[in-house]
Amino acid sequence: MIQGIAHVTVHVLDQDEALTFYTEKLGFEVGMDMTMDGGFRWLTVFAKAQPKLELVLAEPKEGPMFDKDSAEKIRDLVAAGAFGVGVFETDDCQKTYDELIAKGVEFTQPPTEQFYGIEALGKDNSGNWFSLTQQTV
Amino acid sequence: MIRHFQYKKVCAGRDYLQEHYKDEFSLSKVAEHSCMSQYHFSRVFTSVFGESPNAFVARLRIEKAKQLLVTEGSSISEICTEVGYSSIGSFSSLFSEKVGMSPSQYRRQLSSLANEPHRFPMQSIPLCFAQNLFGFKANEPKK
Repeated sequence: MIQGIAHVTVHVLDQDEALTFYTEKLGFEVGMDMTMDGGFRWLTVFAKAQPKLELVLAEPKEGPMFDKDSAEKIRDLVAAGAFGVGVFETDDCQKTYDELIAKGVEFTQPPTEQFYGIEALGKDNSGNWFSLTQQTV
Repeated sequence: MIRHFQYKKVCAGRDYLQEHYKDEFSLSKVAEHSCMSQYHFSRVFTSVFGESPNAFVARLRIEKAKQLLVTEGSSISEICTEVGYSSIGSFSSLFSEKVGMSPSQYRRQLSSLANEPHRFPMQSIPLCFAQNLFGFKANEPKK
């Protein structure tokens, strides 16, 4: 039986900049920041209240997963906002939105009432969208 | 249910503990930093994060020690002090309890898997990422 999700990949354009954004703006914590064999960087972050779900901040680079052309295409798609990180939960969407706006986080939709709750839509500094949702039902 | 302002307060306390994890643990200091009573801080912190403030600090120390054991050439006792323990006995037994092996075994085991000194071996992250992101081949002999 699958009991949960431990790691999810988020493609970012620059790991250092993404780390700053996720920790200093969104308030995430660093899970792992390790230099691996071959000089690769394994970088994960997590929401403070959910340490068992880590976001793997990975740069699309030429390598076993992508050839050079594909890596460039992925980077372009990330920057264009084609990918989403997912839904970040909050107990007070308006307050969290205000706090994030004050920190310079870009939003494409302010808190808006939906059937399931109050939701705002934001972007990370690579271009990935995320939802900030206060569930009410 | 934890309210937004309480969450913000315990987050401030958690940030404080992260900054001061090497110092002697003081519940009164961190509670004061969060503008809460010790009892209330401890209760809300545990409810939000699933571990007590004390357990959180111990985990930070062990995680830092794991990193230093691989990336630094310092002795075990230096690392023990570096992460905030004064007694190597307490450090080693806590490390063994949490990690399942002693600090020296941990260092030996990871060093034996890594190809380069002071680097983490690919075996220390999930194989799917090691293979797909970094091109690691599980059955490839050590270079």
